[in-house]
Amino acid sequence: MPTLHVLSHSPFGDNRLASCLRVLGDKDALLLCGDATYALQSGTAPFARLQATGLKLFALAEDVQARGLSAPDWAETIDYPAFVELSIQHDKVNTWL
Amino acid sequence: MAKSLLLISRQSPWSGPGAREALDIILAGGAFDLPIGLLFLDDGVHQLLPGQNAKAVQQKDLSANLQALPLFGIEDLFVCADSAAERGIDTEALGLDGLKVLTAPDIAALIDRYDQVITL
Amino acid sequence: MKFAIALFSAAHAPSSRRALLFAQAALAGGHEIVRLFFYQDGVYNADSGVVTPQDEQDLPKQWRTFVSDHQLDGVVCIAAALRRGVLNGEEAQRYQRSAVSVEAPWALSGLGQLHDAIQDADRLICFGGP
Repeated sequence: MPTLHVLSHSPFGDNRLASCLRVLGDKDALLLCGDATYALQSGTAPFARLQATGLKLFALAEDVQARGLSAPDWAETIDYPAFVELSIQHDKVNTWL
Repeated sequence: MAKSLLLISRQSPWSGPGAREALDIILAGGAFDLPIGLLFLDDGVHQLLPGQNAKAVQQKDLSANLQALPLFGIEDLFVCADSAAERGIDTEALGLDGLKVLTAPDIAALIDRYDQVITL
Repeated sequence: MKFAIALFSAAHAPSSRRALLFAQAALAGGHEIVRLFFYQDGVYNADSGVVTPQDEQDLPKQWRTFVSDHQLDGVVCIAAALRRGVLNGEEAQRYQRSAVSVEAPWALSGLGQLHDAIQDADRLICFGGP
C-alpha cells in the first residue's frame, strides 16, 4: 500500500527530509514542493542522499522553475493535474506539515 | 468499517500550539470512537519527558491529556526509538502506559497499516 | 475520487496557493471535494480582514471565490480560529470583540468536521508549512 510523502521545507536546516527518508516504505514515493526542491541541487548532501535511495521521486515543476533549478533525470517534474493523479495512484498522501 | 487515522506528532510541547493542536485532533477522533493511533516522532518525543513543569512557562500541562488518552479509547501509542535516542531520551523512563517503541522499519509498516495519516 | 483537503498554513504561505491549485485541478479532473478544512494557521485564509497588495495574489479572495463558485463546504476550525482572532459575528458577540472576520461562505465548526470528512473521502490531502 504505497504512500506518497510530500515535503515543502528546505532540506538545509530542517530535519523533515531526513526523518521522511528514514521511515519511507519500499514502494513509497516522494514529492518535493516549495523549498524542498532545493534538494535537487547537485553537489549537495540531500541530492546525494536522494540519488542513493533510488526511490520514485517527483518535484513540482513550478517550484523547480521558480528557483532556477534543473531536475536530474531520476526526478520527474509534474504539474497539478499530475499531482492529483499521483495522490490517486497512492493509497494515501502524507504531507510533512 | 471506520477508516483509521495515524497522527504523527513532531512538535515539542512548548514551541507553540502545534503539540496541543495535534492532540486535539486525536481527542476529537476519540470522542467519535474512531480508530486512531499516535506516533511521537522527532521533537514530538519531548512531549513524553517526565518531570516537565508547564507552569514555569505559564503553559497548560499536556502530560495530563496524554495520560488520559486511553480513557478516550486511544491506546495505540508509539514512539520512534531513533528520535528518542538522538535526543538522549531513555524510552524505559517515559511514563506513558502502553507506549510501544518502534524502529524505523516498524514505522514504515505502521504508516502502511493506517488508512490515513496526518504528520503535524 | 472524493477528496478531503485540509490546510494548516496562512494565506501568505506558498502552501496555501498550492492547496488551492490542487483543489482546482481536482475539480477540473472530475473529482469531488467533500470538504475544505482550515486548521492551525490555515484559519487565516478565511479572514476577511486580510488586505493583499494589488500586485500580489489575493488568496483569501481566491479561496472565497472558489468555495462560492463550486458551492463547496468550507469549514474553519473554531478553536484554532478563536485562538488566532478569526471570529464570525456570533463569536465576536459572545466574546465581546469588535472585529468580525469570518463571513460566508466560511463556517466555523469543530474538529469533528475534519474527522467526518476523512471518513467520507477517498483521499485526505494536507497542505501546510512553506
